[in-house]
Amino acid sequence: MSHPFNASGNPCPGPSARRGFLKMGLSGFATLSLPGILRLRAANPEASRREKTAVIMVWQPGGCSHIDTYDPKPNATSEYRGPFETIKTSVTGMHFTELLPMQARIADKLTVLRSMRHGSPGHPAGTMRMLSGDTDTRDKPKPRLPDWMSVAHYLRSGDGPRENPLPAYVGVNAPTTYNGPAYLGDAYSPFSVVGDPNKPKFVVPNIGLSDSKELGRLGRRSSLRENLDNLERAFDLSGELGALDEFETQAMTLLTNPKAREAFDLEREDDKVRDRYGRNTWGQQLLMARRLVEAGVEVLTTSLRGPLCGRVNNWDDHAVNHHVFDALRFRSQAYDQAVSALIEDIHERGLSDRVLVVVTGEFGRTPKINYQPSTGAGNASAAAGTKQPGRDHWARAFSNIWAGGGIESGRFIGATDKKGEDSIERICGSGDFLATIYQHLGIDSSKITIEDFNGRPTPIVDGGKPIPELIRKN
Amino acid sequence: MGITTASTDPFAPHLVVWSFCRFGWLLLFLPSGLSAGDPVRVSFVNDVIPVLTKSGCNSGVCHAKAGGGQNGFQLSLLGFEPQDDFESLVKEGRGRRVFPALPKRSLVLAKASGMIPHGGGVQLAEGSEGYQVLERWIREGANFQSQDEPRLESLQVTPTKGVIAIDGRQQLSAWAHYSDGSRRDVTRLALFESNAESMATVTARGLVQVSDIPGKVAVMVRYQGQVAVFTAAIPLGAALGKMPSPHNFVDQHVFENLRQIGIPPSAVCDDSTFLRRVTLDIVGRLPTEKETQEFLAAEQSNKRDELVQRLLKNPGYADFFASKWTPLLKNRRDEASDITANFAFHAWMRDSLLANVPYDQIVRELLAATGTVVGNPPVAWYKRVKDPKEQLEDIAQLFLGVRMQCAQCHHHPFEKWSQDDYYSFAAFFSQIGRKPTGTRGEDMIFHKRGIATAVNVKSGDVLKPAVLGESVGEIAADEDPRLQLADWMSSESNPFFAKALVNRYWKHFFKRGLIEPEDDIRDTNPPTNPELLAALEQHFVKSGFDLKELVRVITQSKTYQLDSRPNRENLKDRQNYSRFYPRRLQAEVLLDAIDDLTGSPTRFANLPPGTRAIALPDNSYNRSSGFLKVFGRPESQSVCECERVKSSSLSQSLHLINSAEIKRKLSGASSRAARIQASKIPDTEKVEQLYRLAFSRSPTQVEMTVAIDYLQTPVLDAAGKPANSKKQTQENYEDLIWALMNTKEFLFNH
Repeated sequence: MSHPFNASGNPCPGPSARRGFLKMGLSGFATLSLPGILRLRAANPEASRREKTAVIMVWQPGGCSHIDTYDPKPNATSEYRGPFETIKTSVTGMHFTELLPMQARIADKLTVLRSMRHGSPGHPAGTMRMLSGDTDTRDKPKPRLPDWMSVAHYLRSGDGPRENPLPAYVGVNAPTTYNGPAYLGDAYSPFSVVGDPNKPKFVVPNIGLSDSKELGRLGRRSSLRENLDNLERAFDLSGELGALDEFETQAMTLLTNPKAREAFDLEREDDKVRDRYGRNTWGQQLLMARRLVEAGVEVLTTSLRGPLCGRVNNWDDHAVNHHVFDALRFRSQAYDQAVSALIEDIHERGLSDRVLVVVTGEFGRTPKINYQPSTGAGNASAAAGTKQPGRDHWARAFSNIWAGGGIESGRFIGATDKKGEDSIERICGSGDFLATIYQHLGIDSSKITIEDFNGRPTPIVDGGKPIPELIRKN
Repeated sequence: MGITTASTDPFAPHLVVWSFCRFGWLLLFLPSGLSAGDPVRVSFVNDVIPVLTKSGCNSGVCHAKAGGGQNGFQLSLLGFEPQDDFESLVKEGRGRRVFPALPKRSLVLAKASGMIPHGGGVQLAEGSEGYQVLERWIREGANFQSQDEPRLESLQVTPTKGVIAIDGRQQLSAWAHYSDGSRRDVTRLALFESNAESMATVTARGLVQVSDIPGKVAVMVRYQGQVAVFTAAIPLGAALGKMPSPHNFVDQHVFENLRQIGIPPSAVCDDSTFLRRVTLDIVGRLPTEKETQEFLAAEQSNKRDELVQRLLKNPGYADFFASKWTPLLKNRRDEASDITANFAFHAWMRDSLLANVPYDQIVRELLAATGTVVGNPPVAWYKRVKDPKEQLEDIAQLFLGVRMQCAQCHHHPFEKWSQDDYYSFAAFFSQIGRKPTGTRGEDMIFHKRGIATAVNVKSGDVLKPAVLGESVGEIAADEDPRLQLADWMSSESNPFFAKALVNRYWKHFFKRGLIEPEDDIRDTNPPTNPELLAALEQHFVKSGFDLKELVRVITQSKTYQLDSRPNRENLKDRQNYSRFYPRRLQAEVLLDAIDDLTGSPTRFANLPPGTRAIALPDNSYNRSSGFLKVFGRPESQSVCECERVKSSSLSQSLHLINSAEIKRKLSGASSRAARIQASKIPDTEKVEQLYRLAFSRSPTQVEMTVAIDYLQTPVLDAAGKPANSKKQTQENYEDLIWALMNTKEFLFNH
């Protein structure tokens, strides 16, 4: 069988083949009897291997209005300019709107990319474009290509069996509607935490067994099973059985290692730290993200959705959904606090080199304000029929935020025109966006292809280069 | 491989000179009403629209976006409405879009060429072939149509069929045929799309590049609302060796296809594998211990055929297939009060299957249902599906394999279906009368006297019932038009009805439909084995739409009985059925199988003890059973079988390994482990029994040794003393059952 990775023109042997990994994973699993588990407990996984880089992606589902936040246009006419004042940041020459005072104060710790642009202005196509690099501008219900998170998970899995008990890829209220592992198979989807981590009794189920008798029995059972499970796997080309094996390995690890339980337990954080992120869903979500990445999760996504957004639970600020400006104001405090706390915390805890934080949505919002009647009253929306301002989908220009990852911070990259309608300088597409993230994870996206269901090698980024300003300095 | 599917600019500059010459030549041959010697004028319909389409201007995300296009400039999707497009280009936008006095100043050219900022980027570089066509059309006065302009009548692709070697290429040509008998090469203007990109890609210019996967592939060619298809066989060309002898016509067609493309099939599977496979596929459960013993001991040569016949008489057949059909028919519990309707509808479907009511009859009873749910349970479908549009869409997709949804708002992009087709189909459901009954939400359904019609919301035309372009004749005011629709469906010559069903059932047994997805049947999505599909259709119609007969013919074939283990050559085969493609057991079947193995049946609320998951009437039980939810039992929301989740996940593994539900089943007081511990037979016999239950086979020598070792090795407690032997023995058996349950061999039908 041919190798799933094809590092063309690269003499480096690269990651091992998927099947090869599977075998390693299995033999590792087979020895996971009681002594094995105890050994695992005793070992310090951090000491035994090189620290791996990680990415936290904070997702703004629906798309954030760039002109009202990171790319203000105070001189645009009132048809465009929103009601928000422009404020100075800690970086000379860089301005945000008044919605982001806390991020403005730590602007020296982040970089704004103001010149994103792509051609997929629908939520499905836009999300597939940003997360999986699909250049098909049509809206499809299901993604054709795997998202970067599952690709990274898959490629990192090739490095060998995971010693860290936590899954490599975790979603805390992750985006899941228009992205997924596609032909990589479900093995590479995230371990999913769903719910409100701000709730007092919030627990993640089915992790970290505490009873040693139970643990011992599970170990005996699984080694017995390994000895008996001799169904030939040769017929497994659809990857389904492979996925099963990997899920079992993951499940066993989650069940048997106490570190797993601790990493998800926000009660172990100082109250001051919890307060700093904000005692709300988003704040605690981002705190959990930091906790998990610190404990060894390599890819973490978290979506800022739900009631904190306003009436329709997302950032899709059409006038029919929200009064765009009321909505932005409504969510800005929790958003600004959580994001600024995460970025500062990453720096303070010495993670700013290893961990890259990216904040983005699938696109921006139309700079020209569009007044339409509301379709219903609620948070940040007037009574049905009331004309209110909205902003629609805008993929021609939008901003995203980068911090940590060893990049030079306190700057902005690129620019949009006077109205914020078009990116005009250092225009970056979804391919560049993805290539930059992959680069941080040590993945050279220009060289790697992955075989799809039928064995066809498919590049992980189809056109696009890492953005030089967003690559680690050393 | 370095193959790209489409160039972003089909009018790449380096080809301009050559292509313009060719195009000019084409223009000279343009059919037109002008007398010889006149310069040929550019036609809006025949020349301009194709340029807009090829450049992507009128795609769904650009100017054909629903609700205003882009920036106030709206075009019809893929140019299906040229008159509208003409109005939009020439008369709207304050006349700035075309400017015959200075064509280059026309907004349409300035924007498309990027002379002035354009959200969609440069689509027609200045001087490119497409640019020149538009420019000339504007210069000539931007007319809609000249007198007697010929109409496009059909599209032809050449070649239409071919055999392409692995890693080979094939150039396609697209020819447009016009009403005046002329034809024109439109290869550079047509759109090409492969139906399996992993097998073949196609460039914007129609060059097909094949990969290394053998089988059949199709390339759809579209031009101005016309479609044509190129199909290619990609042979592997391996030596076939000894083939199994065909048992029936299924094998003849499958083996013939394998011969043609040179893929040797795997061998026929052994008796244990067949017994387990076919029992799971027909009655949705594991064979019992007794069934296994009897079948393995039987010696007559036709025992497999007889097994199939026995299974078809088993009530489990009706339970299993009712669980396939009722979610597709949206037998959904939205409110507690739906329970009567849910139970009645499920019982109607199950009883119909059990009695082997002909399929056309079942569909007729559903489609033309009148009365109340209690008096006539299929009426429950009309309770759940109320909108005539949803009714037609569900009926078309489920029973005809045709997806009509697109045609509600615009001409179907890959098919001949127009909005007229859509609304005239909806007209069949226009005379459904509803009268409230004592039960909230449940109407009595009746035929409301009157002539059935529906309005095409775009044209405003009032349409009479017609189905997929065919009229069913005059329908009198007293007649229920739905009966006419049912007659049309079940007529012997209907091209959709039997095909959709046999393809759906084929997929049930083989994991992959002859057409994929199974409910997207169209000329542009051809079957991988058309001869087989036709033969199955014919057999099904001739048998009087006999569902059991169809299942019999499929499962008695040697094709169905091939081993799932691949040989060297058929490893990559995914569509030729050269081996059995394993499938994970679906949620209900797996739960029942675990119940059987652990000896701990699941109890479901409001249902008699002993009710199996496969016999559950509706989706409400997904809420009470964590297992069914995690393993993806459908919620009866969709007419598509894809709603049923077939893939594995981490939560499934966690559930099987450690959930409280599974732990209870393993160790309960009346569980199999408890009973087996108490039984006096030797351990080896107990292990034999567990293997027969789980896998319908005996353990191998090695498996027996491993199991016995595990059972008989003493376990010491914390104080170092041997543990309580009775309790320990039961725990050991629990562990063994847990281990068997968590093997691939158990979790899959293979």
